[in-house]
Amino acid sequence: MSHDPARIEVFKHLFASVAEEMGVVLRRTAYSPNIKERRDFSCALFDARGGMIAQAAHIPVHLGAMPMSVRACIEALDFSPGDVAILNDPFRGGTHLPDVTLVAPIFLDGGVLLGFAANRAHHADVGGMSPGSMPMSRELYQEGIVIPPAKLFEAGRRNEGLWSLILANVRTPVERAGDLRAQIAANHQGVRRLTALVARYGLDDVTLYMQSLIEYAERMTRRLIADLPDGVYCFRDHLDDDGVDPAHIEIAVAVTIDGDEATVDFTGSSAQRSGNVNAVYPITASATYYVFRALLGLDVPSNSGCHVPITVIAPEGTVVNARFPAAVAGGNVETSQRITDVLLGALAQACPDKIPAASQGTMNNVTIGGWNPARSQPYAYYETVGGGAGAGPDRDGVSGVHSHMTNTMNTPIEALEYAYPLLVRRYDLRRGSGGEGRHRGGDGIRRELEMLHDAHVTLLTDRRTTTPYGLDGGQPGRSGRNLLIRDGREVTLAGKASLDTKRGDVLVVETPGGGGYGRPGEDPE
Amino acid sequence: MQLGIDIGGTFTDFVFVDDEARTVRTLKVMSTPESPARAVLDGIRHLQRVEHADVVHGSTVATNALLERKGARTAFVTTRGFGDLLTIARQTRGDIYDLFAARPEPIVPPSACFEVTERVDHLGQVLTPLDESDLPNLIERMRSERVESVAVCLLFSFLHAAHEERVADALQGAGFVVSRSSEILPEHREYERASTTVINAYVAPVLERYLAELELHHLGRSFRVMQSNGGSIRSEEARRHAVRTILSGPAGGVVGAVHVARTSGFTQAITFDMGGTSTDVSLSRGRPEVTSEAHVGGLPIRVPVIDIHTIGAGGGSIAYVDAGGALRVGPESAGADPGPACYGRGGSAPTVTDANVVLGRLPPDRFLGGEMQLDATAAHSTLRALAKQAGIGPHSGLDEAQVAALGVVQIANAHMERAVRVISVARGHDPIDFVFVSFGGAGGLHACDLARGLGMKCVLVPSGASTLSAYGMLVADVVKDYVQTIMASGETPREELAMHLDALVEQGRQEVLADGIPAEAVSIERELDIRYSGQAYELTVPFGDGYIDAFHAAHKSRYGHADVDAPVEIVNVRVRAVGSTPTPPMPRTAPADRDVSCARLGLRRVVVDGAEAMAEVYDGDELLPGHRIVGPAIIAQSDTTIFLSEGDVAHIDEFRGVQIEVANQ
Repeated sequence: MSHDPARIEVFKHLFASVAEEMGVVLRRTAYSPNIKERRDFSCALFDARGGMIAQAAHIPVHLGAMPMSVRACIEALDFSPGDVAILNDPFRGGTHLPDVTLVAPIFLDGGVLLGFAANRAHHADVGGMSPGSMPMSRELYQEGIVIPPAKLFEAGRRNEGLWSLILANVRTPVERAGDLRAQIAANHQGVRRLTALVARYGLDDVTLYMQSLIEYAERMTRRLIADLPDGVYCFRDHLDDDGVDPAHIEIAVAVTIDGDEATVDFTGSSAQRSGNVNAVYPITASATYYVFRALLGLDVPSNSGCHVPITVIAPEGTVVNARFPAAVAGGNVETSQRITDVLLGALAQACPDKIPAASQGTMNNVTIGGWNPARSQPYAYYETVGGGAGAGPDRDGVSGVHSHMTNTMNTPIEALEYAYPLLVRRYDLRRGSGGEGRHRGGDGIRRELEMLHDAHVTLLTDRRTTTPYGLDGGQPGRSGRNLLIRDGREVTLAGKASLDTKRGDVLVVETPGGGGYGRPGEDPE
Repeated sequence: MQLGIDIGGTFTDFVFVDDEARTVRTLKVMSTPESPARAVLDGIRHLQRVEHADVVHGSTVATNALLERKGARTAFVTTRGFGDLLTIARQTRGDIYDLFAARPEPIVPPSACFEVTERVDHLGQVLTPLDESDLPNLIERMRSERVESVAVCLLFSFLHAAHEERVADALQGAGFVVSRSSEILPEHREYERASTTVINAYVAPVLERYLAELELHHLGRSFRVMQSNGGSIRSEEARRHAVRTILSGPAGGVVGAVHVARTSGFTQAITFDMGGTSTDVSLSRGRPEVTSEAHVGGLPIRVPVIDIHTIGAGGGSIAYVDAGGALRVGPESAGADPGPACYGRGGSAPTVTDANVVLGRLPPDRFLGGEMQLDATAAHSTLRALAKQAGIGPHSGLDEAQVAALGVVQIANAHMERAVRVISVARGHDPIDFVFVSFGGAGGLHACDLARGLGMKCVLVPSGASTLSAYGMLVADVVKDYVQTIMASGETPREELAMHLDALVEQGRQEVLADGIPAEAVSIERELDIRYSGQAYELTVPFGDGYIDAFHAAHKSRYGHADVDAPVEIVNVRVRAVGSTPTPPMPRTAPADRDVSCARLGLRRVVVDGAEAMAEVYDGDELLPGHRIVGPAIIAQSDTTIFLSEGDVAHIDEFRGVQIEVANQ
């Protein structure tokens, strides 16, 4: 059966709109600010074999990881109508424990399996050794409850044992239950809408265009790769350390472009570490797909077809494909950024006009917890801080912005100071931190938080001892710095640190600048 | 007597209601973008007796100044340590997959961002007093930057405005135009407040010059300006709060469409304005939905505006085949010049309009009431070329151009259906409960099919659609919105909240009375923005009996759950002061005294449901109340063409609007 070029476009809108509406339901019904406002979630539709058809993604790191979650469920479970599966195990379809994925099969009358609706959301706490479940851990078990693919609903009935087991292992069970219910409702919306599409367009057309869209995205991706010059492009860069051992951690990549296919090989990357910077394979795959997706340009559906021409090789036991039970909390937020950096560095050799210099390369995760006397309750404040973006061949880098694997909003100062016993003393750009060049890298941020009461601070930051690279002769951006000012004296803190602070202490987070592009002093025509 | 004036990109429209002569006159003159006032004065000369009229005016002067970055030279003043507030914004980038994602061009360059030493905390207490010795140096630097207008936005100024006031006084004394955030938008969240204040400072001098020029000519008895919230304000007020007029153009259309729908008996409406390059949709339950989360040119504006969703698809959108072999439509548009291939002005790219010509739905000799002859041959040949490129062949009796044309129309509809879903389904409303009001020039050809796809039962195409926006300005009430952040606990005594509200109520009442509205026509709405403690987004509920219960109920209906035991916070108090203005009657037409056949123009071959069929063509300007038309049929009006598929049934109502019962799918 042949497809119609107009219907491809019509179904692209239809499937995308189903994924978007799932996202709307999730946002509307979720409890936690992290889902409602920072939009740390993604929704997607899959065919019966687990091929991704459409995705509404706000978070690039979910891009390649979602299909692996669905595949893990298909392998582990035998689905019937009314089932809903849940998982967060990074070694069986997950990425890090706070990201919890729910998968619902879509059965038509008569028992035909049409596909799956799935969504993934970042939960504010899943237990483990510290509030927020992003601890300075040494093994997975310290990071929270581990949920392998399991049925949360069977034939429409909730598995009460599993439900209460999960809620008994988290710090904020009411909020978690609310968020899980929202995820269930979002999948339900996906099931309902896809079933309605079958009623409107017929099963044959819906299944035909599911496949046509995957093939279409594959054709687009192949064309992009074919436009790149054949060759092998290598690049390497480092994470500062894992918070335990001060040694740099190497990420190495060799990208082979061969006709309309690409092989991305991370062989040569450091062995996995005892700190929490280990990434599981789905994160490495996500970062890779993100980079190719960004090169592809806008408006191509995010589906499994984009992944077909790209082979990702990541040797087991390394920091880019960690073996169970490695600590992985930071792999998702920090290592994913460096994987992106090395891929872009390699591809800059193939298509220099399309790739910017390195951006800040970290999310600057700051968690502050303590007692809030104004509200007579404990608090846990989490934020990520923007930095400099890398300059491009024809423009300066943007200053004070999130780059690559994250894009979450800041908390307004006038909201933050209402909610927490903290005073923001300064929040501005670090002038001159962007790398020099024909085009300058963007500047990082200087953010100063004064503790109005004793508190505990956890920092998970990188690019404190390494720098974001420049391209084509451009200078690197400046490293970031973390400081503590106590009684007027400045103390430099490590990039990854956990410390008790006293009332009046000021935490200073200076984020890295982006790399410059082109030799400084050249005429930027 | 009332006169509505709407300046659009191509035409400036006038609707003049003369109570004495009992007439409603409309007039269109070409817009004069280089000097918008000229078109207004042109039109006024053509209309007579307007010197006694109450004039309501909507203009794109402020919008264009912002979008084209042609506002005043503006400086920004904030608290020390936060001078990069406008640059850092919310730390996000617009498109996650754009490796070079740039920020919108700033309207204040970094060299014109200044800091003053001062700090107020979240309780409104002064931590650091304002250091006034900073000011002379500041003024000096602004002068050397040749600044004209200044926005002042200090942290927590909505709780303690004295520092801002002192800075503003000093700057005004030095001759600058000043916009103060505690006056423009006394609401928490510093970036959005700063952005709104800066935009106000940027466009106010431009609007001031424009309005002053108009007023030199004493246009009418009173002169009001349309706001983005669907109400109007006195022109002096508009000058101080210029940011409130930024989205006033499309707001007029929505207010007009909603009014017409209500007069025809529909309280719940989805409006659909499909033009040449873009399509606006909005939803109304009794009155248009309003949002405080609008963005213009990538910058947030926190004042209330009618919630309009715009997509880049219209009649002029160009169809093409992409690298993956899929047929695509837009966002590239042929615009009005050269326009679609069928305009015969040298355009050769296939557009949605060309596809409608090929499908027979747009009769070439009836376009714009027959004033413009379309080139059907050109439309066919461009669609044939597209078909060839896409590998589309003849199919079940249709030639390849027709098959391609059907595809183009389906794609445009899929895109627009998605837009309607964003403002309805995604906001928790089922389209089935709404009438679909189509008033753009290109909309009539698509409205019935779209409504069908969305499960809607009824379409309304109002008469006089092309001047609906100017008409909307006449029916708009005087509306003033006020907000004040108080950040109070949910247990705050009712009397204390009432006190906060009363201050705004008094201000609102005075300002509406100053607009010449009689006291008995003034009504006041009091509202609270409430949220659960710890959440960051609020719901607005009326300040009536049991406002906390009302919040839980609103949360339940909007988000699907509520927690009646959880503590809540009252973030803002809001007051809306409304002065109702006399609504001009919509002209009624006597029921038809002759058969519908008198409007018949003949039969035409059209493509409907994937096959050719014969459709009756009617002259819409000859149709009268009571007439009934069954699809497939075409109603050619002077400002739009309506296409009815098999089974769609149209009735002409007493206002000569076309009401269509849409056949089920």
